[in-house]
Amino acid sequence: MTVVGGVHEPTLALHVEDLTASYAHQAVLWDVDLNVPPGVLAAIVGPNGAGKSTLLRCIIGAVRPNAGHVYVHGRPYREQRRRVAYVPQRTSVDWDFPTTALDVVTMGLYGRLGWFRRPRRTEADEALEALAMVGMDDFADRQIAQLSGGQQQRVFLARALVQDADLYLMDEPFAGVDATTERAIVDLLKDLRARGKTVVAVHHDLQTVATYFDWLALLNVRVIAQGPVTETYTAENLHAAYGPRVVLLGATGGPAPAAAPADRAPGEEARTPVA
Amino acid sequence: MELLAFLGDFTVRSVALGAALVGTVAGALGSFAVLRRQSLLGDTLSHAALPGIALGFLVSGSRSLTPILAGALISGALAALLVLLLTRTTRIKDDAALGVSLSLFFAVGTVLLTYAQRHVGAAQAGLDAFLFGQAAAVLPADVTLIGGVGVAALFALALLWKEFKAVTFDADFARSLGMPVLALEALLTLLIAVAVVIGLQLVGVILMVALVVAPAAAARQWTRRLEAMVALAAAFGALAGVAGALVSASARGLATGPVIVLAASALVLVSLLAAPERGLAWQAARSWARRRALGSHRVLVDLLRLGQDHRDPAYASEQGMLDTYFGGPTGHVLRRLRRRGLVERVEHMPEEGAHWVLTPAGRAQARELQAPFGGRRDEGAAR
Repeated sequence: MTVVGGVHEPTLALHVEDLTASYAHQAVLWDVDLNVPPGVLAAIVGPNGAGKSTLLRCIIGAVRPNAGHVYVHGRPYREQRRRVAYVPQRTSVDWDFPTTALDVVTMGLYGRLGWFRRPRRTEADEALEALAMVGMDDFADRQIAQLSGGQQQRVFLARALVQDADLYLMDEPFAGVDATTERAIVDLLKDLRARGKTVVAVHHDLQTVATYFDWLALLNVRVIAQGPVTETYTAENLHAAYGPRVVLLGATGGPAPAAAPADRAPGEEARTPVA
Repeated sequence: MELLAFLGDFTVRSVALGAALVGTVAGALGSFAVLRRQSLLGDTLSHAALPGIALGFLVSGSRSLTPILAGALISGALAALLVLLLTRTTRIKDDAALGVSLSLFFAVGTVLLTYAQRHVGAAQAGLDAFLFGQAAAVLPADVTLIGGVGVAALFALALLWKEFKAVTFDADFARSLGMPVLALEALLTLLIAVAVVIGLQLVGVILMVALVVAPAAAARQWTRRLEAMVALAAAFGALAGVAGALVSASARGLATGPVIVLAASALVLVSLLAAPERGLAWQAARSWARRRALGSHRVLVDLLRLGQDHRDPAYASEQGMLDTYFGGPTGHVLRRLRRRGLVERVEHMPEEGAHWVLTPAGRAQARELQAPFGGRRDEGAAR
């Protein structure tokens, strides 16, 4: 374990309890309990408006929840910020902002730098290294507006990598990227897992969730189910989250073959619901 | 000689210095207003300063700038709070809330100003200079105050540079790093308000927004880095400020604000047209170059295809045929390609026109161009 001499023994990478959040008196998250063990790739899956992004934004403090608490590796989130890296949805920022890819990645080190201190040579070198890890070192000085969607997503991932965190929270890391980038991101996530890191990612594609991730939380305002993907990815749970119209051939327990789906591509009939 | 004497004048020099400072601060902080899409907030802040100006004068009973600017800052901040309150508690959207707040505060300010001028002798104090700005009304003591406050604002910006940058680019991410995003955003808005307020005497409440927005918009055209954008916007702001102050001071009775705005707008116009990459002239040149390259590419591929169709890589195509294929005269394109060693002109039959054949280099390039489209048949030999 990376925590030595901590006050509490870390048993869970992420522990969310009783989390409730609302916009204009409409509950977006209701009594959410979420427990993610260390060293897994966890997907948060659910229909549009299920509160997936809000959950991540509550965890990092960008949305103030009405109730509940968030613990990371056994300690309150506020004390553990250095160990958490957040990757927002790519479309949440203005990519016409006047800056370069390297500069965006350097922002990942702002927390470590603290108040008033400017990034220097060391920080630039670290940022460049992180860009190399996502295969973007040739684009370091590129204006971010000139990057493709997939490249922008990689820059965001590099910004999280440079933080050298233990827990990575990612909001739709596969949204709007091509197959090559998707493959590269999956490899990156698996590499993080191999190094003992934990990833919690909002995911929208039911077809790939069982092949990319090994831990799953189904969310629709409340948590429908959570656990290892082999146990959680069932037709019953998917129906509970999405309604009865979703048919997943790869899912266990329902109208589908009962074989474990983890290593198999889900069937063609699988479909993600569109609101 | 006359100009030198004019520039040597102490008052003129101090006014020019004040204008340079006002422009620098407005340009630098205006960059953040523009990037945060808060340009209209700048307009509301400046119009809403009017009641504060009148009240500052009424309360202090003097023309002294300190109470007037303090009043302007307070009423501007109240207007910004009103906008926040309206958008948070009602269904009114940002732009409408800004408009409501702006007009309400401006109306109150006009009433107060009229009262002050009728009853308390504000006309003698030159209070109406705050509407359109009057460089001549700026005293050396005012320049000291404006300069002190402006330098303090720039210092705060430099100190919190990386925090402001992170909050402006990606507020959620800044929050995840533990930055107090709300406080930083409030401070940034306050600094923008300060930039507006110190320019009011020179530029006036009605046009001050231009000095906040225009230099930043112009600077955005020229650069791809925030550091450079802010520095350039500051320089543009200073340039416009000094130009406006000098022109207005040399022509009696000419309001300073409009001249500054004209100067800033000229900078925007030039930037929109001439800036590399983003400028319209640049884009037109690039699209012309692209069209030209496309023409060359098409003629090369046409020649290759004609050779393929005749199963003769060295097939000499008649220029008239190429014209028809191309849909227009190809003579200038072919001559350009010949200069680059990609085609050669050959004599075919005396009674026919010019004929052209691909050189080995031309053939190689044409094949490369064709490759992304499946390459078609190669040299015709395969069929």
